[in-house]
Amino acid sequence: MPPHRLLHTESFRLAAVFALLYLSFAIVLMIAVYWIVAHAQRSALLDSVSADIGTIQNGYRGEGISEAIEVIEQRLGPAARAGGAQPDEYIILQDATGRPLAGNLPPQPRTLGVALLVPAAANPGTASDTPGSYPRLLGQGVLIGDGAYLFVGRDMQIMAAVKTRLLQAFAWITLGAVAMAFLGGILSSLRYMKRIDEIARTCHAIMEGRYSERIALGGSGDELDRLGNAINRMLDRIAALMENLRQVSSDIAHDLRTPLTRLRYRLERAQASRTVEEYAQEISGAVEDADQTLSIFSALLRISQIESNAQARAMAEYSLSNQLRKLIEIYLPVAEDEGHTLSADIASNIRIHGDQELLLQLFVNLLENAIRHTGPAIPVHVTLERVDRMVRVAISDHGAGIPEAEREKVLRRFYRLSSSRSTPGTGLGLALVNAIAQLHEAELRLLDNQPGLRVELMLRGL
Amino acid sequence: MQPVNILLVEDDRDLAATLTESFCRQGCAVTWAADGPKGAELAMQGAFEVLILDRMLPGLDGLGVLRRIRQADVRTPVIYLTTMSGINDRVEGLEAGADDYLVKPFAFPELLARVRVLVRREAPAQSALTKISTGELELDLLRRTVRRCGRPITLMPQEFELLEYLARHVNRVVTRAMLLQGVWNIHFDPQTSVIESNISRLRTKLNAGFEQDLIQTVRNVGYKLLAPP
Repeated sequence: MPPHRLLHTESFRLAAVFALLYLSFAIVLMIAVYWIVAHAQRSALLDSVSADIGTIQNGYRGEGISEAIEVIEQRLGPAARAGGAQPDEYIILQDATGRPLAGNLPPQPRTLGVALLVPAAANPGTASDTPGSYPRLLGQGVLIGDGAYLFVGRDMQIMAAVKTRLLQAFAWITLGAVAMAFLGGILSSLRYMKRIDEIARTCHAIMEGRYSERIALGGSGDELDRLGNAINRMLDRIAALMENLRQVSSDIAHDLRTPLTRLRYRLERAQASRTVEEYAQEISGAVEDADQTLSIFSALLRISQIESNAQARAMAEYSLSNQLRKLIEIYLPVAEDEGHTLSADIASNIRIHGDQELLLQLFVNLLENAIRHTGPAIPVHVTLERVDRMVRVAISDHGAGIPEAEREKVLRRFYRLSSSRSTPGTGLGLALVNAIAQLHEAELRLLDNQPGLRVELMLRGL
Repeated sequence: MQPVNILLVEDDRDLAATLTESFCRQGCAVTWAADGPKGAELAMQGAFEVLILDRMLPGLDGLGVLRRIRQADVRTPVIYLTTMSGINDRVEGLEAGADDYLVKPFAFPELLARVRVLVRREAPAQSALTKISTGELELDLLRRTVRRCGRPITLMPQEFELLEYLARHVNRVVTRAMLLQGVWNIHFDPQTSVIESNISRLRTKLNAGFEQDLIQTVRNVGYKLLAPP
């Protein structure tokens, strides 16, 4: 994998950002710790200095200046006096004239209170036996009786050493953490990129026409799995739609061939006809065939329009009771002429929200199916009633019905029962009914009316 | 039949030629415009009784032409021609000010019937009517009652609607599609003879006890309510 690609992955960028964030956080933390430690060290040092001063003052108060000198001598110990190793405590006791009485420092200017002292180099002839140079000291100067001046200080170098070690430790830990953050970023980017590449590979495969390819999932259910899963489902849906389209195209080709062949045949016969009456008869038959072809087309276009866009249709509130009553009245004569009986039980004042024109077509299709495909002298009954919050429209007949195994299939385009193949029709009526029902999010049920068919439509009531 | 002055705005040369010829045979005068801007220009000169306007036109589409001429306050009745694929075109067309619509492909008699009805409609405003008299028939639109030669006839509500539509277009041919759309708002082809069955009931009721059949069947086209003088 080329490194520049790695640098451009989101997870690497994220890791870099986090490393940077951590780094700045560590710096802030370090400054805080450094300050706290320095402060604690300083107060600890000053405390011990105060304690020493207290001891020396006590000696002085008890038995005078000689006792104070004695205490200092003891405090500094033989090593200091021998001038061996660098001591960490420095004391000077000098009298009012500035003459050193005890301690391991040359005489100092009188500074009272807490002070940072850079001791003056030892002058020749002083009592000090310390080497010629001194470290920077932090300490306290006080006057103890008779104008004598006492300064007790500690080497600041010790403090500095602690601070240096602290800084070093911090630097190493931070460096390690940042390095680990980058390493982690690189590793997770590599993993991420591998899976993204897998998705891209699948997309390319689809583009090249291998429609059955799907994204392999990691199985952990993480975000990439969810994305992969969503893409796979989308591909499944597209595949189903394509299959549907392919099916419809071949159905159209097949179903249009019949009327077109008949049309051609009629026109041939018209060409060959000998009398004007024969000619006129064939031509009017041909017009009928052309009309049937056109009605198949328009039904198909209507279905696909209803299926493809829902929002453009005019949904409004209206009285379903009135619509169905009117419909029954219009179709009563039709049913009578066909020898059927049509009865209805329509509840009043039922209003729904829907596309009045499309639902009218739905009911007309169902009613006409009941009238046309049921055989002779069949009772057809229409009911409208409220069921809880829903509205149920049922159209039932005592005709031949639809075998249970075929009830799902009749909703498909061009599917026709073998029993109804002899009657004219497009084979699209129920597909259209189904599309309109789906547009209204209504449940369409085909049930056994024992005998016959009962079609129920469950709509949301108002 | 009364000659009608028609403006046809249609870009399909073959269809335009066929329609022009058919209208001429019916004694109508047809002016043809092949694109939108030309059609709008001619329409605004205002010498036409009916405008037949295709939806898909070069330059300016049918909807654009319609809006332009209605904005210019040209009130010429318009028949809007749409295609099967555009369910919503009809609504758009009617909203933009079309008086009627027809879905391509259509039969010429259907178009002719609609042209004649629109020309007729130009005359008096009918919506304010409360009574329609057509020779022997008298319709009371408020009480929903009908009399023939003074004798009351009992009709079902939908039968009355059907008769009212026929009566509003008396002595004119109305097609099945016009009845379906105009009376019952059915904008598709039913698979049963719903019009025939209902007309047959209406006819039986109207003609009971009379010699003359008031509803004339025009073969392959539709029906005509006759008003004998």
